[in-house]
This record gives sequence, C-alpha cells and structure tokens, in this order.
Amino acid sequence: MQQSNRLWHRGGVGAVAVAVALSLASCASSSNNSGASTSAKSGAPLVIGASVSLTGDFADSGKAVQRGYQLWANGVNAKGGILGRKVTMKIVDDASSPTQVVSNYQNLINRDKVNLVVGPFSSLLTVPASQVANRYGYAFLEPAGGGPKVFAQNLHNLFFVQPAPTTKSGDVFADWILSLPASARPKTAAYTELDDPFAAPIAENIRARFEAAGIKTVYKQVYPAETQDFSAIMSKVVAANPDILVGGTQNNDAYAQVKTLVQLKFSPKFMFLSNGANSPLEFPSKVGPQNTQGIMSAGDWFPGSTATGSADFTAAYIKAYGGTADTIDNSSAEAYGVGQVLADVAAKTGKIDNPTLIATLHQGTWPTLLGDLRWGPDGAPSGSFNLIQWQGGKLVPVYPSAVAQAKPISPKPNWGG
Amino acid sequence: MRLPSVLRGGVFVAVLVTVPMFGLQHWFLNLLVFVLMYATMSSAWNLVGGFAGYPSLGHAGFFGIGAYTIALIFKDHVLTTGYEPFLLLPLVGLVGGFIGWPIALISMRTRADVFAIVTITFLFVVQTLAFNLHDLTGGSQGAALPIPPFPAATFELPFYYVLAALLILTMGLTFATMRSKVGLSLVSIRADEDKARGVGVPTMGVKVLAFSVSVGITAMVGAVWAYYQSFIYPQFAVDPLVTIAIVLMTFLGGRGTLWGPVLGAVILESGQQLLTYQLGAVQLYLIVYALLFLVIILLLPRGILPTIQDRLRLRRRRRRADAAGAPPGDPTPSSEPDTASMLGGGAS
Amino acid sequence: MHALIQGVILGILTGGVYALMASGQTLIFGIMKVVNLAQGAMVIMAAYLSYQLFTRFGVDPFLAIPITTVLMFAFGVGVELLFLRPLRREDKSELSLLVTFAVALLIEGVLSVTWGTTYRSINASYANSSWTLWGYQITVVRLWAFVLSLVALGLLFWLLNRTRFGRAVRATVQNPQSARLLGVEAQWVSALGFGLGAATAAAAGSVYGLLYPFYPGSHYDLISRLLSIVVLGGLGSVGGAVVAGVIVSTSSAIVAATISPAWSEMTFFVILILVLLIRPQGLFGNVDRGAI
Repeated sequence: MQQSNRLWHRGGVGAVAVAVALSLASCASSSNNSGASTSAKSGAPLVIGASVSLTGDFADSGKAVQRGYQLWANGVNAKGGILGRKVTMKIVDDASSPTQVVSNYQNLINRDKVNLVVGPFSSLLTVPASQVANRYGYAFLEPAGGGPKVFAQNLHNLFFVQPAPTTKSGDVFADWILSLPASARPKTAAYTELDDPFAAPIAENIRARFEAAGIKTVYKQVYPAETQDFSAIMSKVVAANPDILVGGTQNNDAYAQVKTLVQLKFSPKFMFLSNGANSPLEFPSKVGPQNTQGIMSAGDWFPGSTATGSADFTAAYIKAYGGTADTIDNSSAEAYGVGQVLADVAAKTGKIDNPTLIATLHQGTWPTLLGDLRWGPDGAPSGSFNLIQWQGGKLVPVYPSAVAQAKPISPKPNWGG
Repeated sequence: MRLPSVLRGGVFVAVLVTVPMFGLQHWFLNLLVFVLMYATMSSAWNLVGGFAGYPSLGHAGFFGIGAYTIALIFKDHVLTTGYEPFLLLPLVGLVGGFIGWPIALISMRTRADVFAIVTITFLFVVQTLAFNLHDLTGGSQGAALPIPPFPAATFELPFYYVLAALLILTMGLTFATMRSKVGLSLVSIRADEDKARGVGVPTMGVKVLAFSVSVGITAMVGAVWAYYQSFIYPQFAVDPLVTIAIVLMTFLGGRGTLWGPVLGAVILESGQQLLTYQLGAVQLYLIVYALLFLVIILLLPRGILPTIQDRLRLRRRRRRADAAGAPPGDPTPSSEPDTASMLGGGAS
Repeated sequence: MHALIQGVILGILTGGVYALMASGQTLIFGIMKVVNLAQGAMVIMAAYLSYQLFTRFGVDPFLAIPITTVLMFAFGVGVELLFLRPLRREDKSELSLLVTFAVALLIEGVLSVTWGTTYRSINASYANSSWTLWGYQITVVRLWAFVLSLVALGLLFWLLNRTRFGRAVRATVQNPQSARLLGVEAQWVSALGFGLGAATAAAAGSVYGLLYPFYPGSHYDLISRLLSIVVLGGLGSVGGAVVAGVIVSTSSAIVAATISPAWSEMTFFVILILVLLIRPQGLFGNVDRGAI
C-alpha cells in the first residue's frame, strides 16, 4: 500500500512537475530574448513576424502568402533593407486553425519580441489574430482578411491591403452594368450565392444596387458549402431565364455552376462570378477553355498589370519560383503589397515602428501593385476592384476605363464559342 | 489512504492557483489556458469513454453548442466587469447536459458501435446547423462575442482561473465517482454490460447521467473558449479534430484513471502548440497525430499511467516472491479491466 | 412537380454510388463486427489514385478501376493485418472504432502531404455532357456511375453467393463459432473481408472523383452519410445497404429540390434517428445477432 502511494505520487505530481519545469524554462528563455527588442539602432535586423497557414485547409493560399512575403523581403534587402536594416521574415505555421493563430501571434509578439507583425491568410484567422496584435500595440497590415467582421471590430491598428473590402469586390460589375445606356441594360437578374462570409455578401451588394435601379430579381438561392450537385439550383435558374446571372461564389461552386449550365444548354447574356472565374489557369481547365468567353469576374492583381511594382514582382516571382505570370496566385501579390506599404512608410517618415505605422497609414494614398490604396479608420480600404473578363482565353481588365486594356464583350456569347 | 490522496489533490490545486503569480510571460499563460481547456475536456470525456467504455466521438459537438450558446446570450451585450460570461457558465453546462440527455437515451440503448455512429453523426449535424441557422449563429460569417474588457497585462488570468476551476471540478467529480456506487456501476458496465444489468445495476440511468455530465462540462469549456477567441466560426467551433485530440489525450494518459487525461493533455497540447510553432511547416501534423494514436492503441492501450502502475506492481510482486523464495510465476499484466485498481487509480 | 421528379432521378442515380460505398462498409461490419470509420477516407484515397492515373497517364477513370481495385484490396488487407489483428479480443469493439478513425486521419494526412489541399476533380471529356429524356436531364457521368455501381454490386453478390470464399464469409457473418468448427479460417476471412471492403471503395472512388470535387478532408462528410445508410440498411446486410443507399440518397435529393439544398444535409441524420427510434436493427438487420 505504501508503494502504491509512491507510485501515484509520481503520476499525480508528474503533471504538475511538467508545468513547473515549463515555467522555469520560459523564464530562462525570456531573459535571453529580451535583448532582441525594438532597437532603432541602424544595422539591427528588422524582424517581421507572420503566422501563415502552411498546412491544413488554407495551405495552398497560405504558402502563396509566404512566397509573397519572402519575395518582398529578398527584394528589399537587395536594395539595402529598410532604413539600413536587413529584413528578416519570421514565418510560422498556424495549421489553418484560429486557436493556433492566436498562440502564434502571442509567441511572436511576447516571446520572440519581433519588431513588426503582418497578417495571416483568410478573414477567419485575421479576426482573432488582429485582436492579439491590438492588445500589445502592434500595427496589423494584412493581405487576406477582408470580410465584414474584420472591419466590424473597429480596430485602429488594422489595415487590409487590397483595393476594397472583399464584400465590395463585385460592386465594379454593378458599376459597369449601370453605366450602360438604358436601351442596352439588362432587365432581369438571378443570384446564386455560396453561403460563406464573402461570396453571399458580394452578390447581395450587387443585388441591392440592381434592385434599386429597377433590375428585377427573378431567382435567388443561397446554397451551403457542401453542395455537390447544382442541377437542382441551375435548373431553376434556367426556368427563370434571367438576363444576368450573378454568382457569389468561391472556386469549386463556380466551376460546377458553369459546367451545369453548359449541360443544361443555357447561356445568360451577362455572367459574373465573384471567384473561380478569376483564376487564370484553373478556370479554363475546369470548365473547358471554349466555355470561358465573356464571363466576368473581379480581381485586384492580374498578370500584365501596370500598377506600381507589378513588373518587378512578376519578374522576381518567376525567377524565384518558375512558372509564368498566369500561375501566380493573387495571394502572393497581396502579401507583396503589404511589404510595399511598409517600405513606403519607412521611406516617407524615416521611422518603422508600430505607432508610426498606425498614425501614418490612415491618411494619404499608398501605391502598390494592387493599385493605389487608402484606408478608413476601421482599416477598410476605400477603392474598388477591377472588372476582368475572359477574352480569347485570357483575363483582361475591361472596367473602369483607367485600367481597362480592352472593351468589354457584351452580351456573353453562347457556350463553346 | 484517503489523507495522502486529498493531500496530493491539495498540492495540485495550490500549484494551479499560484503558478500565474510567478509573473509568467503572456505566451506561456496562453499555452496554459489551452492545456487547461483540453485537460478539462479530456477528464470529462473520460467519464463516458474511459469509465463507462462508450467512446463518444461527438464531444466536439457539445463544445460547439457551449460556444454558440454563450455567443447567442451575449450577442449584442455590452459588458461591464467582463465576468458576466463566466457567471453564466453553469447555465451553459445545463444546456449542454439537457441536449445530451435525449442523445444518450437514444444512442446508448444499443451497443458501443452504434453509440459512436450516433455521436459522430451528431457532431456533423451540429456543424451543419451552425452553418445553416443564420439568424441564430451567423452562419458561415461567424459569431462575434464582446471583447473581454480585461487589461492587456493580465488578460489571460481570468480565463486561466475559470478553466482551472473547471478542471478541479471535473477531477473532483471523477474522484467522487470513482469512490461511489456510480463509479462501480460504470466500471461494471464497461466490463460486461449484460451481466451488470442482470445483477441489477441501473445501467441506462448511470450511462445517461455520465454522458450528460460529461457533455455539460465540455459545453462550458466551449463557452470559455468562445469568449477567449472573441469570434467563432462553425467549422472551428464544431471541429472533429477537437474530439480526436481529447480522445487521444485520454488514451495516452490512461483511460479510467484520475490523472491520466490531465497528463495526456499536458503532453499533447503543449507539445502540439510548441512543435507547430517551432518547427515551422509541420506538414506531417495530421500524420503524427494519427500515428501516435495508432501506436498508443496498439502498444500502450491502457495509457501511460496504468502501464507504469502495472510494471511497478509486477516488480513488487516479483520482489515479494523472490523474498519468499518461491518462483516468480506471475502472469503478465492482466488484460482484464482491473476493477480494484481502476477504482483506486489516481487515488490511493 | 418537375423539380421533384428530377430530384428523384438524381437521387436514384447517385444512390447507386452510395450503395456501392456502403456495401463495403456493411460487409466489413458483418464479417468482423468492426465499424470501419476509414471507409470514407478509402473512397477519397481511391479517388486520388484514379485522379493521378488520369492526369499523369491519361487513363480513363472507369478503366482505371481494375488497377485501383487491386491496390485498394492490398491496402485493406494490410490495414487489417497491421492495425486490427493485434487488438485484443475484449477491447476489440471499442478500440477498433478508434483504430479505424486513426487510419482515416492517417490517410487524410498522407493525401494532404502528397496532393495538397486544393480541390481536385477528374475532368474527363464527357464530364459535361448530358442527355435529356422527356424533359428531364440525365448526366452521362451519373448514368454510367449508376451502371457501374450495379455491375460492381452484381459482382459482389456473385462473389458472396457463388464462390467458396463468399460462402466462408457468409458463414462467418452468420455464426463464427460454427464456421470455425467447419474449418473456415476466421483470420483469413477477416483480412480478405476487409480487403474486399476496401476494394469496393476503389470503384466508388473513381466515380466519386468524376462526379464531385474532392480534397483530403472530404471523407468526413462521406463517412457520416455512409454510417446512416448502413444503419438504415441493417449493419451487416449488403442487400440492405443497397436499398438504404438509394432511399437515403433519393430522400436527400428530394429535400434539396423541394425545400432547400441547405437542409438536405440533415436528411441523413434525421433518417438515422428515426431508424434508431423505430427499428434499431435497420431494414434487413438481424435482431438476434445482437447487431443492434
């Protein structure tokens, strides 16, 4: 009996011992790290921390973000760094989990004491991460968190580095349709919306504007993410015979909708897909290159863009990672844009600390490869996306005229041509 | 024999209470918060999966129910002290238990296999509902909770203490169960349910009670997590990986023991968080979990604590046999559930 | 009305595929009393294999089935020998659940590492074509999937009823002790049975890849559907799984067409609960076997 006491003493206190050991270890490591603080001494490296999804559901986009950050850091270092300091990116994996992303930014800010942090992939992870950054006074420039809940937090330290909040990315399509003369303007519209934080709101914003302008809604359906089969929904679209089809989509449902419409032999005169149709390689491969002509989407960066730094970015990307301009994921461009803004602030103010970033970025216009960006007090950018259209197997911007490289094809030709 | 175990419990509580006062770094407190979360959930799961032998694969569903319940209650609330969500935790626990009751009634009438099927399907239904019931849950756009108004310097502490309290509660319940008739009933159910029923054990009542308590606690942890995150999404609030983690932790530490789940949680959660952070692109995350799971089930099926106990008991017997001069004809650690040791497990 | 009938057609055609997937699941349970939570993952794994053969070597998914069947069969036997065989008798029912769950995760992890997490789909040239019959649309792929499922199920029935192996399997399902007395080597039946269950996943995988986009995490949705089907049909009854597959799939499609796509996901669970409340042994399960 005494022996079993000893045994359970071992088992029960074991857990406690581990906790105590960890805490001692943390005290030791923290004292080591306190040296690498926010030293403004020129020459000390500028450590920028980021938690990015390298594994899990967001892995592919997360890796694209990582590439963008790394590319920018290498480029800026080749030109002497920021304010004479070499940029070091400390990128960690959050496994696409919001729990892990919170821990990661905690670790980056409080354990590793990085100088700056930049954002993760996706609004889902940006929301909790931005809270952590805000708590400790860090600026939070982020390339991929543009959902409404991000801005609803009203965080003064947050800046979404894209032309407009994600839910407004379809507004440019509404702008174009409403700019058409009354005789050429379509009269009816159908809406197929994926139930997710972005896709449905994009379509809903368009719908609000269309209805206000007198374009009748003849069908609307919100479908869940697991929807595999679109025959039921698209049959109803066909039955409603709309002039315009507005799809609030992500990628797979966009492909499925197009494929189903081809099977049903129905081609709307105007077709907008918020996502899916804006991926240069995937879209034609998934729906068939002969079916893409005339379909419209929205985008920020696109191959062939002439915005600030785009050419350098494209060349550097191809040199580092191979492929062509068409294989570059937008997320890389957006991450690169984050870096551009940081470098700009340093160049303009001569400083690169968090209070300066937060104070400076709420005014003025900042040129990036995504266009010129401006931010409101809640971090929402106040620009607009580009309307892009498939013409001859390529994506070209067609509206607004400042960025258009071709005239829009209207109406959309039938499938297969 | 009772005094030492109470003393041990007292030491544990004292350590839990005083650890944050060492001026620990934020990132470490953050880690502890998650470790406590999983330790509590694993201990709660242990009541159903460890003692009763009914492996529930749907606990993550109740975690989500707890998270969404608290989110719903505080949807457009303005917090004053910030402690309001904590005060309402018992209500959340009741909601969880209340929903768990009929689930247990339906699914525990049958054998463990079908129970697992129902619980895993329940998990996905909860997730589907979380996505579809827009008006309640915000759907895929997620649900926001009010930001906890705690000062940045001590932000983690309230969460830490609430979770520590939940852990102590759960372990206390486990301890009390082990020493009571209920505990004996659960163990007998696991050993041979038909026989237990034949002997007059109120199997249905005991099983359902264990399940309801277990999921009620899990719901409370979910609520605390939701408040800590300030924002929840359906696929993360109701995540099969949470179920996997707590089952794995309980198995690793030792099912049906008091300290096993806690040990498992400490090892796995801190390991997982630190490894994911340190090693960067841990591509093999899921594979490591799965392999670890398989290794534990196949090689260490009773978990760390019972295995250590068995080895030491065997050595003790050998020593005694040697001393008595008789040949050490001891069998290898018994494969049958050792009732006495399970009841005494973790205690004296 | 049109939408309703279209839904029924869709449900029946898809039901064949689900029936095929569920038949493997219920067979494994019948032989080994193991609920194989990795069945969905095996289907996805087969879908990836088929995808690889298609994109790398241009092999049509339907023609790839013989190849993937052999591969999956070997995989299934391997899993049984490595992970299920060592489990001790007493713990088997409890632990086998967790073991198969772990195998499902392992498969998901390996698939993630090998192919990444973007959605894939097998875009055969006929993927978009469809026929219209009396105003109802029938997709070519779905029809062939249905036919294939019937053929595969037919083969399975032939195997179970007309071969010695099949007789051994059925004997083991009905009464393991007697079967052993009669010389049926239960160990081999277990291993081969699991392999057979995995082999059905092969055919189902090719079809799944043609019909739906998939990624490593797709197996979660799949397994919860399969489990409901298997319980409805009666754990252990292959015929039951077939009937149940069509019933559940059709109900789900009808709900999608008439109520809304969002709620069709719930159909599976509602059916599961109803079965457990009304007739726990399912349509064709045996009460005395203690199946439920």
